[in-house]
Amino acid sequence: MGKILRVDIGTGEISTEDTTKYVPEYIGGKGVATRIAWNELKPGTGPYDPQNMLMFMTGPFTGTLVPTSGRGSVCGISPRIHPTPWFTYGTMGGDWAAELKYAGFDAVIVKGNSAKLVYLWIHDGRADLRDANELAGLDTFVTQQHLKQRHGNRTQVVCIGPAGENRVLWSTIQHRLSNSIGDAGLGAVMGAKKLKALAINGTGSVGIAKPREFISICRKMAEMIKGGPTNYPHPTDLPYRSPVGPSNQQCSHGCPLGCGQLHRNVPAGLTVGSGTRNMMSHCEDYVFIHGESATNYPTEDIKDIYHGDMHTRETKAFGERIGTELQTVCEGLGLTSSFPINYYPWFWVCIENGVTEIEGVKLEPDEPRFWFEFMKKVAYREDSFGEIFAQDMLRAVEQLDLPPVVKKAANFQFPMWGQPSHRQGRSYESQPSPLWINTMLHWIIDSRDPIACHHQSSFVAGWFPLHNEGKGGTPDSNMEKLKAAYKKAFGTADGMEPGFENIDAKTKLALWQDNRAQVKDSLLICDWVFPAILHTFPSREEYLKADDYYGDIDAEAKMLTPLTGLDIDSSFLDRAGERIRNLDRALHIRNYRRSREIDSTGEWYYEYPEKSDGTKLDMQIFNAILDSYYTLRGWDKKTGHPTRAKLKELGLKDVAHELERIGILKP
Amino acid sequence: MPPADASFKVLKSGKIIHNPELCRGCRICELACSAYHDGACGAHLSRIHVIPDDLALEFPALVCHQCEYPSCYYACPKRDKSLCIDEETGARYINTDECMRCGNCARACPFTTSLIWVREEDDKKIYYKCDLCRGREGGPICVEVCPRDALTYVSRRKEK
Repeated sequence: MGKILRVDIGTGEISTEDTTKYVPEYIGGKGVATRIAWNELKPGTGPYDPQNMLMFMTGPFTGTLVPTSGRGSVCGISPRIHPTPWFTYGTMGGDWAAELKYAGFDAVIVKGNSAKLVYLWIHDGRADLRDANELAGLDTFVTQQHLKQRHGNRTQVVCIGPAGENRVLWSTIQHRLSNSIGDAGLGAVMGAKKLKALAINGTGSVGIAKPREFISICRKMAEMIKGGPTNYPHPTDLPYRSPVGPSNQQCSHGCPLGCGQLHRNVPAGLTVGSGTRNMMSHCEDYVFIHGESATNYPTEDIKDIYHGDMHTRETKAFGERIGTELQTVCEGLGLTSSFPINYYPWFWVCIENGVTEIEGVKLEPDEPRFWFEFMKKVAYREDSFGEIFAQDMLRAVEQLDLPPVVKKAANFQFPMWGQPSHRQGRSYESQPSPLWINTMLHWIIDSRDPIACHHQSSFVAGWFPLHNEGKGGTPDSNMEKLKAAYKKAFGTADGMEPGFENIDAKTKLALWQDNRAQVKDSLLICDWVFPAILHTFPSREEYLKADDYYGDIDAEAKMLTPLTGLDIDSSFLDRAGERIRNLDRALHIRNYRRSREIDSTGEWYYEYPEKSDGTKLDMQIFNAILDSYYTLRGWDKKTGHPTRAKLKELGLKDVAHELERIGILKP
Repeated sequence: MPPADASFKVLKSGKIIHNPELCRGCRICELACSAYHDGACGAHLSRIHVIPDDLALEFPALVCHQCEYPSCYYACPKRDKSLCIDEETGARYINTDECMRCGNCARACPFTTSLIWVREEDDKKIYYKCDLCRGREGGPICVEVCPRDALTYVSRRKEK
């Protein structure tokens, strides 16, 4: 257990505090960040205020042999969240988090705003703020290269590009190739703080309480997950589901998988992105290259009829050559590279409704030239077009004179919290009932696109029988074996039955998944793999032969125990996850008046039918689901606030007192 | 350089071979090596060092070649007590308890970057190098954990 580095970038003051103040109760990562946010972020703090904190977090697994443990988290108040900028989080892969631990710190918390551009050089228990004037305006790859040349090639760099410096709301905090904090919108906060980069190098290590046991359990878990991420039972020729081979790479330190596709020798001659000739793509960041069935807007507002076309529109695949070049420019500028999945179909809705140009810029979404221009204008806030789209789409459309149908289409692309439609149980990534019910709950409860959470439900769609016109599921699906795995994990598979019967079983599963998502972002471990209700198979043959799909939902506790020497079991982790969720809830209630009413703003989306099975809900069913969820959570059904009893039970008595003091909880 | 004494013969050693074409810089080898030898995970503790250039997608690694003419061994003033040859694997290894911390071995290493590492612990210099995990059932742990078969172990018997 180490130290948290505290940096006031405004005054230059640097101090440390012991991590033991927050662990094991809050585990690490997002858990510790949430506790610090509760303690220190006052209501009314805006994303660009000096009081906002940018928290670079690691967890107890970071830098160890635990498979997939290289991830790091960044938390803070995000300007991107719509309509209220509030406290949120993001996670990313790479090597910086491990390097930070080796440099002697569990976290770096930056507050204050600097007057001039600086970077933070962190090395073996020390930290210095250095002038970054030379790095101003440099793209993310050149910045990384530059700092590696200055501080040694084993230095790990996290940085912002021109987009972050110019506070573009969808700018990234970038690291290596294709690892970034993207949709969280925290690149803009780094820009506001005038913090260009963190350069980290350390020669330390992470101690293990019981090395022999630890090595053995990590080996076992690496063996268990070697079939790859859980979005499909076995490797296929899908772009992000190929077997480990020469053309792919892990995203993170310590990961035995290879989810990132490598693209070598991106065409030269670029003015942006020139720090690399290569690129990596994982998932939606390949959209410029491979295209994707993206969310569409139902042109006729009919909720009763199922139209395949209503849900999706294929984005243009620009191919390996131009596609990778576009992605490189995007990441070089420091923009979220999954953006065309939402902007491409929306620009087409504009054109189809007679809006062929915006602020003097002709819309040509099928032309690569258009996207180069779009990204450059946004990143540098060029002209009124760039200024407007440097905000998120929902704020942009508020400022534009557009037909109502085009404005509404923007809501379909960004249905909740201003976050892009992404596995929310509708549109392009089909999730047959009951999976979308879980996913919906994750979306409406969280503060952003709840990636770590809904991958636990949405990924299972890959194990279902073929659906979504054959684009989803597996032809060899065996639902009996799938349900057997859930039965083994939870004693029942009722949560996996379609429809709205026995709703408690579904909300109970959603609640467990949500708690475990908090755990996972606090331990910092990959959400494509853990928690392992299911485990994958190295080949289709092994999948077909297997009697049992069950993975091991106790994997995290089994690895944490010999690592820390503490006697930790899954119920301890579930509890910690519940504590973190409730504290996050309390923070959002105190600072942003989060309520049942706010949770319910996402309901409208689910009145539209799910693509593959046509299932949908209305306000009455939604309310029944929410009642069930709140009750299981120990939250007040009317307000959606945690009860005093629940907070006390989780050791959050001080939080209950505070909510009482400001009149939210009744004494 | 081998000593002038021609009768001096050193057992051949097995060796670990790293293939940068297959390596993708996940660094699990470093984590396993340090966990096994030191009960802690850290790149700097490891006997194998991967130096990935993630932007260039180049993944070189440094690990002791277990030279047929081991300069480190010849340079050690307490040869066979401090710098020793393992009878089973042929590994050239450092017996830390006997090590005088003179650093002759590290300076003698013929490679540009010495493959004998040094770290400070309680104000003492600790020299350490790859010992092929001698005595470990299953051979070198880094080879065993590599998910991409980028590391192979050639035992001294197979080594021609």
